[in-house]
Amino acid sequence: MAVSVAAEWSAIANRYYRKQEIYRMAWHNVELSGHKVACARFGGMIAIIRDDTKIVRLRSEPARPKLLIFRSSGLLVASITWDRPGGRLIAMGWSDEEILHCVMQDGSVFRYDVHGKLLPDKVWFGQECWDQGIMECIIWGNGIVCLTEANAVFCIPDLGSPQFVKLTQLTLEDPPHCMAIIEPQHTVSGSVEVLLAVESTVMVVDGGSIQDQGTTIGPLGKMVASPNGSYVACFTHDGRLLVVTSDFSKTISEFDTQSALPPEQLIWCGMDSVLLYSDDSVLMVGPYGDWTKYTYDEPVVLIPECDGVRILSNTFMEFLQRVPDTTVSIFSIGSTSPGAMLYDAYDHFAKRNAKADESIRMVGSSIPDAVEACIDAAGQEFRMELQDTLMRAAVYGRTFCRRFSKTRIRETCKTLRILNGVRDPNVGIPLTLQQLKVLTLPVLIERLVNEHKHLLAIRMSEYMGLSPETVVVHWAGAMITAATSVPDPELCNLLLEKLKMYSVSYAAIAAHAYRNGRRTLAALLLEHEPRSSEQVPLLTSMGEEEKALGKAIKSGDTDLVYFTLFHLWQKKSPSEFTRAVQDKPLARNLFIAYARQNEPDVLKKFFASIGQLHRVGELLLWEAWAQSKNPVTRQGSPLQGPRIRLIEEAQRLFSHSKEHDFEAKACDEQARLLKIQHELEAKTGKAIFVDTSVSDTIRTCIVLKNHREAQRIRVEFKVPDKRFYWLKILALAYIKDWDALEKFSKERRPPVGFKPFVEACLQEGQTSEALKYIQKLSDPEEKAEAYAQAGMAKEAAEVAAQAKDSEILGRLKLTFGQSTTAAALFDSIRDRLSLQGG
Amino acid sequence: MAQLPPLENAPINLIGLRKEAQLDLVEALDSMRGRKLLVLDPKLSGPLTLIVQISLLKEHGVENLSHLSGDPIQSDCTNVIYIVRPHLTLMKLIAAQIQHDKRNQQERQYSLYFMPRRSTACEKVLEAEGVHGGITFGEYRMFPIPFDDDVLSLEHELVLKELQVDGDPTSLWDLALTINNLQSRFGLIPNVKGKGDAAKKVFSIMKKMQEEQALTTPEGQPEIDTLILLDRQVDLVTPMCSQLTYEGLVDEFLNINNGCVELDPAILGGDKKVKVPLNSSDKLYRDLRDLNFGVVGGILREKAASMKQDYTDVKTTNQEFSDLKKFVKKMHALPEMTRHIDISQYLTTFTRKRSFMSRLIMEQTLVEGQEYDICYEYIEEMINKQEPLISVLRLLVILSVTNNGLQKKHFDYFRFVELLQSYGWENLFFINDLERAGLLRKQESKSNWLTLKRGLRLVVSDTDDSNPKDISYAFSGYAPLSIRLVQHALHASGWRGIEDMMKLLPGATFEERQVKNRVKFKREKEKKSSVDGRRALVLVVFIGGVTFAEISALRFLSAQESMKHDVIVLTTKLCNGTSFLQSLQTNPLGG
Repeated sequence: MAVSVAAEWSAIANRYYRKQEIYRMAWHNVELSGHKVACARFGGMIAIIRDDTKIVRLRSEPARPKLLIFRSSGLLVASITWDRPGGRLIAMGWSDEEILHCVMQDGSVFRYDVHGKLLPDKVWFGQECWDQGIMECIIWGNGIVCLTEANAVFCIPDLGSPQFVKLTQLTLEDPPHCMAIIEPQHTVSGSVEVLLAVESTVMVVDGGSIQDQGTTIGPLGKMVASPNGSYVACFTHDGRLLVVTSDFSKTISEFDTQSALPPEQLIWCGMDSVLLYSDDSVLMVGPYGDWTKYTYDEPVVLIPECDGVRILSNTFMEFLQRVPDTTVSIFSIGSTSPGAMLYDAYDHFAKRNAKADESIRMVGSSIPDAVEACIDAAGQEFRMELQDTLMRAAVYGRTFCRRFSKTRIRETCKTLRILNGVRDPNVGIPLTLQQLKVLTLPVLIERLVNEHKHLLAIRMSEYMGLSPETVVVHWAGAMITAATSVPDPELCNLLLEKLKMYSVSYAAIAAHAYRNGRRTLAALLLEHEPRSSEQVPLLTSMGEEEKALGKAIKSGDTDLVYFTLFHLWQKKSPSEFTRAVQDKPLARNLFIAYARQNEPDVLKKFFASIGQLHRVGELLLWEAWAQSKNPVTRQGSPLQGPRIRLIEEAQRLFSHSKEHDFEAKACDEQARLLKIQHELEAKTGKAIFVDTSVSDTIRTCIVLKNHREAQRIRVEFKVPDKRFYWLKILALAYIKDWDALEKFSKERRPPVGFKPFVEACLQEGQTSEALKYIQKLSDPEEKAEAYAQAGMAKEAAEVAAQAKDSEILGRLKLTFGQSTTAAALFDSIRDRLSLQGG
Repeated sequence: MAQLPPLENAPINLIGLRKEAQLDLVEALDSMRGRKLLVLDPKLSGPLTLIVQISLLKEHGVENLSHLSGDPIQSDCTNVIYIVRPHLTLMKLIAAQIQHDKRNQQERQYSLYFMPRRSTACEKVLEAEGVHGGITFGEYRMFPIPFDDDVLSLEHELVLKELQVDGDPTSLWDLALTINNLQSRFGLIPNVKGKGDAAKKVFSIMKKMQEEQALTTPEGQPEIDTLILLDRQVDLVTPMCSQLTYEGLVDEFLNINNGCVELDPAILGGDKKVKVPLNSSDKLYRDLRDLNFGVVGGILREKAASMKQDYTDVKTTNQEFSDLKKFVKKMHALPEMTRHIDISQYLTTFTRKRSFMSRLIMEQTLVEGQEYDICYEYIEEMINKQEPLISVLRLLVILSVTNNGLQKKHFDYFRFVELLQSYGWENLFFINDLERAGLLRKQESKSNWLTLKRGLRLVVSDTDDSNPKDISYAFSGYAPLSIRLVQHALHASGWRGIEDMMKLLPGATFEERQVKNRVKFKREKEKKSSVDGRRALVLVVFIGGVTFAEISALRFLSAQESMKHDVIVLTTKLCNGTSFLQSLQTNPLGG
């Protein structure tokens, strides 16, 4: 058994390569010669179309070419009659998302999904390209580079948002011999590098710059960069194969093919060997110039993968790879590695041969390594029986280990189940373990979903513990797209039956239904969406704004309410908008808050239309107030005119209803006040009146000794006596007009008493003046406090004693706390009091 | 820059919470490569100083820090990151700055981070200004800001205005999200109680969010046992009253902002203003903050005396090294001691004033709720003397709330004749907004304040400030209604025991249990009985702001022997009566 495994290997220098058949192609009558073939990486789809530059013998098929899409196992997925305009098809290639890109001579790009459906969005290389015509084109996983007949280089750097850029314009007499690219993930600049073989050198276009590498290895007939972008394999005009570093500074190896014609295909196999295909034979050249040759009796297509090359012919698909180290260690002839010994031991064990014991003893302490080797080798295998044997050997070996992680074995088994599952010809994705690691499981599942293998995808998700949501949502979407003739409620129930089992975004599915014109279905599905933040935007975009508004309000999320409000506002007429918002307090309030800042005029109309004239009035007043705060409009009395008009207009609006009497009156007063202040400013030549209050204006007049005006304002605004007295007293004290103050106190008995006089004098530090009024105070408590405030402890104490008020005394003592003599005085008086009291 | 509060003694892991906020901020900063200018919402820079230190910003490429204003950007940085609250007025400022750069052909990259989340309305404004396309948007979900071991705040000062005046409940949504985040960190809180419409709304949003996206909570026993949601509308009286605790008074007279107080050279000596952090890392402050100011002086004197005694001991007797060490350790507290002596001395200059005393008497008279005429007279005189409007309003609001509104004749007289004529007509907007927020109203029905006062024992007369028995010590005789409700909520019979009173207070009342699922709940219950000695943690949420004196009263509550709960406070804003009212004052040019 061990012998048969290694017998299939071929050795190049010190390493082994193996070529295994993965599939017998399920297709019939497919002839690769004379066709353009595009194979997606990671064991993806194959697209085939007749190459119209070649002469092909038509058998029983129509003259119009057909675009055929197959799984890697040769099962037909789609067949479309090719009828695209745009001239000759220059190149065809799959993106990472498994979308087929067909680049036409005129620079237009047609995109097909795996089911052969033409994607609607228009992608092209622009007018200039259209004028010049495309000569050559390279498509990689996420972009396209093309060279025009006029030697301009264009690029679509990101197929996710396909915008083209012109990289450079070369001025050359002859077109470049060949072109290659280094994918952006491998370049320093992070953008794609385009290599052009020009005369005997190579030009590198990187971003916008172009650089001559100044090498003389050319002219080159073919170039290709290694999978990690650090080397370039070049085929020279004189038949040599060179491997150079990607900056062309150093030649790593050289091999003379003794053929002047460049190969049809030049491709890297892994990182260390290069394949040349021409005339039905594949020449494999290793790193040290060793080589081997495989001959075929039919044309083949080489498909590079990250760890090897797939070889596609009319009848089979093979995988050529360097034999993994662990596999070598187990199966190479005469190997005595622990892995090989364990495998041998298991072989005996399975045959119930006692030699098993002897073998296992020979492994000795390296049992864990042996188990690890078997597990690893199992992962590398395509043949299920060999996987099985290797895993059994591993499990057998584990029983001799003291400690070996169970999960390692379990995980490998799980992964192998996944790999075997997708390798099945009906699925047709021949991934290796290494490829799966690079591709990642979620991406694989996405691929399956795109290929409508939902059941497998969801089982895999669940098996590997991933969330099934994306699969379920995609499934529901596909169902909706397919089931055009099923009535909405029925389809909804059909979907719900399955969707109930998972927690998924109903909104995403509803959105799909809506895009497919199934509005009712979308609405039905949306009812099941618990998240308002998902529900509302979709309802809005479906034109169900009012329903959306209701849901948004219910959610309590004001941002959603705003979101719908803005939609409503944009789409509906003002009257419709008003109607929708009017009876919803939250929506109305939010709209008002927004419009108040940003759309005052719209807001005025809104209020007017719902009959809230007083709110319009408020807005006008607000404007008038804003003018008073704004330094530009504030300056200069003449500008008070517009403000007064605004206020008067507001007053008119307020007076429409009795409820707003208060505001109306306030407006009226303010308008009158502004006029008076305006006059005062004109008379006095001082700009200090406008925008002060009635009280302030009176005070200012008194300070300016303009008692007549003060009196006039008092009468005009019916200022209460008490307040007028306070204002005048404080103002007179402020200007220290003590005579006037005294005169004022004697005018008549002050309605506020004499306390304000005392306070005003003391505030200005005028004790002697204050004394005049303290004597006139009638309330002994007030009097005592007043003396205390004037700093006259003895008088204060006496008055307090007269009033027999010990509480005041206590407080006075606190006030005079610092001075001990005063404190003693209070104590003695208090003692006296309490004695008397007691 | 002040040190971050240490938070080591917090009952839940607040350091982790802050760490996450730091990481989020760093992530936002790192979203732009290279050096950058950080432009902050002026209202955010204070709270941010409690989350990160400037050095961290510098490490992540912040070359300059500026406040968003009407002026153009003054920097040659080509990267600009804005972090702002989603307020419409700020958008115009940002748009103006970007437009200014455009006109001057200044090429820059702009990132705009909304805190706590993106806002369609704000982006709409930027769109209308034609700058939306040039901005990269992001969200900076600032967690509640830990101010101290037991105080968290969202520092959102406009909650009251947005909610009550504009009818915009966005802040409730944000608060619900915050509480849910806390729950996903510390476990689903089994007991939820709430009073007031906003409280009800927050809880219903919380539940809806959980429905839409299952809350992932950690395994095991929840760290927080009870959640109490209180709508500020339920108790508008307390914040209007003068706070009489040490911390409360410092806030009333010196303004505590973002956990710091800025002190004038006149107070501390020296020649420039000093920013002093006030939190429990200052051990003396931790002891003093919650006391009635009346006893603070005595305690300081005692401490000073004992220090003096120690000093003489050291000088006169031969002491062991260990004693010396103790002494030296004590001496380390000296700067704090002097500082608090200076602050208290400064505060006494206010508290000794006759006007302060008479104001307190007036507040007392108001909450007693029996003699309104002398109150009207007092307020009228304040207006006549043109005392600051806010100071007048604080009393008027107590009058209006306890009396269920002002009688019509007073209402018209005050708001029109007195307030507008004395303070200017533009206060019309302010007064209308106060009315909308329920702070100043016309009387329509009889007040039930007296019933409440009796039923909830809101006035407790015999207080011994140095050895208080009731939360009323914080306001010298008035027991804050809000805290009284918390006290009852934590009582065995809960709010059912005072059902009649709860009905008299505005808004819905609810007491509910949250459970993950039945089975688990059962197990938790069993567990609970086995660890009875554990002190349960209560999260009290104030929707609309809370004062320092109220927090002190809560701490006092949890320190009582009969109380088996530790309390942690989450508020939308730390405020006092003045800042509370100021948040309603608007400026026509913005805000």
